[in-house]
Amino acid sequence: MSLFAIRNLSVDVPGRRLLHDLTMELPPRRVTALIGHNGSGKSTLLKTLARQIDGTGHIAFEGRALIDWNARDYARRLAFLPQTTPPAEGMIVRELVALGRYPWHGALGRFGPRDHAAVAEALEECAVTDFADRLVDTLSGGERQRVWLAMMVAQQANTLLLDEPISALDVAHQVEVLSLVRRMCQDQSRSAIIVLHDVNMAARYCDHIVALKAGRLAMQGSPADLMRPAALREIYGLPMDVLIRDDGLPVAVPA
Amino acid sequence: MTHPRILLPAAGLVALTLWLAAALQLLPLPLWPALPFSPGAMDLDQIRLAFGLMPRGFIALLAGACLGLSGAMLQAVLRNPVADPTTLGISSGAQLALVLATIHAPGLLAYGRWPFAMAGATLAAALVLGIGARRDFAPVTMVIAGMLIGLTASAVATAVTLAEGQYLLSLVIWNGGSLVQQDWSGVRALTTVLTVGGLGAAALARPLRVLSLGSEGARGIGLNVALVRLAAVAVSVWLAASVSAELGLIAFVGLAAPALARSMGARTIGQRLALSPLIGALILSVCDGVVLAVAGQSGEMFPTGAVTGLIGGPLLIWLLPRLRGSTPPGTEAAEGSAPRLRRPGTVLVALAIALVLLAMILIWIGRVPGGWAVLDWQSFRDFLPLRAPRLIAAAAAGAALALAGAILQRLTANPLASPEVLGVSGGASLGYATVVFAVAAPGAVALGAGAMIGAALALALVASFTARRDMPAERILLAGIAVSALSAAVLSAMMAIGDARSWAILGWLSGSSSGVGMPAAMALASVALILWTASLGMTRWLGVLPLGSEVASGLGLPLGRARLSLILLAGIATGAATMLVGPLSFVGLMAPHMARRIGLARPVDHVTGAALIGAGLMLAADFGARMAGFPYELPLGLFASLIGAPWLIWLMMRSPR
Repeated sequence: MSLFAIRNLSVDVPGRRLLHDLTMELPPRRVTALIGHNGSGKSTLLKTLARQIDGTGHIAFEGRALIDWNARDYARRLAFLPQTTPPAEGMIVRELVALGRYPWHGALGRFGPRDHAAVAEALEECAVTDFADRLVDTLSGGERQRVWLAMMVAQQANTLLLDEPISALDVAHQVEVLSLVRRMCQDQSRSAIIVLHDVNMAARYCDHIVALKAGRLAMQGSPADLMRPAALREIYGLPMDVLIRDDGLPVAVPA
Repeated sequence: MTHPRILLPAAGLVALTLWLAAALQLLPLPLWPALPFSPGAMDLDQIRLAFGLMPRGFIALLAGACLGLSGAMLQAVLRNPVADPTTLGISSGAQLALVLATIHAPGLLAYGRWPFAMAGATLAAALVLGIGARRDFAPVTMVIAGMLIGLTASAVATAVTLAEGQYLLSLVIWNGGSLVQQDWSGVRALTTVLTVGGLGAAALARPLRVLSLGSEGARGIGLNVALVRLAAVAVSVWLAASVSAELGLIAFVGLAAPALARSMGARTIGQRLALSPLIGALILSVCDGVVLAVAGQSGEMFPTGAVTGLIGGPLLIWLLPRLRGSTPPGTEAAEGSAPRLRRPGTVLVALAIALVLLAMILIWIGRVPGGWAVLDWQSFRDFLPLRAPRLIAAAAAGAALALAGAILQRLTANPLASPEVLGVSGGASLGYATVVFAVAAPGAVALGAGAMIGAALALALVASFTARRDMPAERILLAGIAVSALSAAVLSAMMAIGDARSWAILGWLSGSSSGVGMPAAMALASVALILWTASLGMTRWLGVLPLGSEVASGLGLPLGRARLSLILLAGIATGAATMLVGPLSFVGLMAPHMARRIGLARPVDHVTGAALIGAGLMLAADFGARMAGFPYELPLGLFASLIGAPWLIWLMMRSPR
């Protein structure tokens, strides 16, 4: 069963159509990259999947139509990280991560031993236990992003949707965050859908690529399918060269 | 640009017809005096036409044009479609300055009202812009700051009016914005003002167009942004203050005219600056024509400013969804991260003990003619039943307001959110005033019910906005501001009637705890307690919501339901407290901030601490209100505002770190 089955999805804002009649399936237990030029609709698609915005058409998540999921059940199965994480004024790391338990205990339920255990595991998995008692706003960008990932882990959702999680980070932290996401998916057989700007990062850390162009599907396939000059030219409208590194990894550069 | 060719002449025709109808009713055309007018040769009706109605017709056009231009300038320079002299507090500043001058230095007014109006308006504008400059002129924040300063100015003006009693009837009428004229001096003055303002606007049109790129972009292509802003705001303040000095508070023409110009297709700033004065002139003329027509039937009932105020509320609500550029959560943060206590429990207990001690002390000491007195045991027992109810009521009201404030600030992630701008108090005042005017000799129950219903209606209106998913939480505050503005306008119209009923409303508006009995005090205390318990049940929401709607809905939080519940909670708390302290106190703004500054960060601690601090603040305010003017009592809400307003301004002027 596919993770997401999307049929005839269109998303409109007044005066403009962001997604045109999109039909595709996204595979489970993979790290999927959503790539495309600015305004291609990749963030829109991700937000639609996260139920942050509504579209017309039909989307099923794990075989069940998106509208049939209730909010908390959905949040138990799927976690979403917005592009800009808001400041968490006065909140310590442990508290922010504990918010990920909301779909499990709700507004009034007790914060029980299972919740404590889930938070502890999440802190451990994302290697943020050391600063669990520090204020979130005092952390560096990479540390903060890891804390937010820990919140998603505490949510115990099997699917992670990340909207440009590395756009504000330097290259070392980009590698750190993407490696973490990849490890999280491989070790725990989670699925992830990540909006990325950088094709090379997408090819290196993801095992499935979905490329959008002007709100339509441009390409879907493996990183090897993506790393061809013709495919890249088709997606970005720019001639690209693909160089092969000494270790055999392809790297795309503008020609 | 197709509508204007039909709409504008049509509106002009309506205005002219209404004015002619009034004029012809006064005097048939053949009897009209010939130019030049010489009062000596005229009979009474001719004088009334030549020196009353005729200048009135002109002044409506001129004042409307001034306000329209002022609003268009402010909206252009601040890039904010809801900026106007009313929403930014400029008109209220002018009003307060004039009220103070009338009372404390009436002699100086002989030199003209204009310098005072100008000073007050400039001061208010400087404050609002000073606050805005530290927040990158974020539209919503500007309006909230403007509204808070405007409300404060009106509250002080009201209190001063109340303190001076019936002598200020003319002042009250002026506040309402009446266009009645006795000669042509006003027309001459405003013609000069409009000419100067128009020239200034023409000179600034091109720099303003560059500024519409945003300050960084404009600076990048070599514009002196600060200078252009200063000049444009100065022209706007000059126009608005002049109208205030001449005619009083005429609300919302400056908001409506540019909005209509835009909806008629005026795209560039030049077009808007040209079209807005025209539309403003027509709006005010039509409104004044309606007032004239009604007056012709039943005598002068209400000032024209009140009619324009009636347009303002609905207009603001209509404009809300069009307001672009919402502030992302966190950019509103005015100060660096506050400390966080390791053991908030101890602090909370200490606060609670301090509150009880404060209450005891306040019962024990009091002022007697000639000095202060500490009660002996016998007197303490005698006084307890007298003082306890009002202390309980004041503490409960303070706690309720603080709860409402803490909830709203967390809900909207905006530290300026407070019960005052929720509109509930405005709705309550309106309900109260309606009962005063509609029912002959209303009892306390009818008045209470009126205030409750008014508050509930305002709350329903604001809550209907929360149902819209795409509406950022802070916009909900603007809906509240719209209600506040509407009620302020209607109230000032009712005041303008100036009989005993107006004084009843004025008295209630400033708030007092003196008439509270034990049952009412206990009722208020239980409301506060219930609300506190309810808010504890919502702490999970209060923890998640400051992170914004994306995170909240990503965690499966029922966004619409959570917002609605919290708004209702805050609304009920505000409504209950308003009954006692009147619509303005700032306790709801202050207490949550203080709680946060002393390090109460978790939602439970924050809300609880805010409630305790709010109760303490209101107790102190009540004591101050009783003692400051002994043996007379000052209005409670007013006294609380006098403490709150400086705090508020200090808070907002602090630089973000």
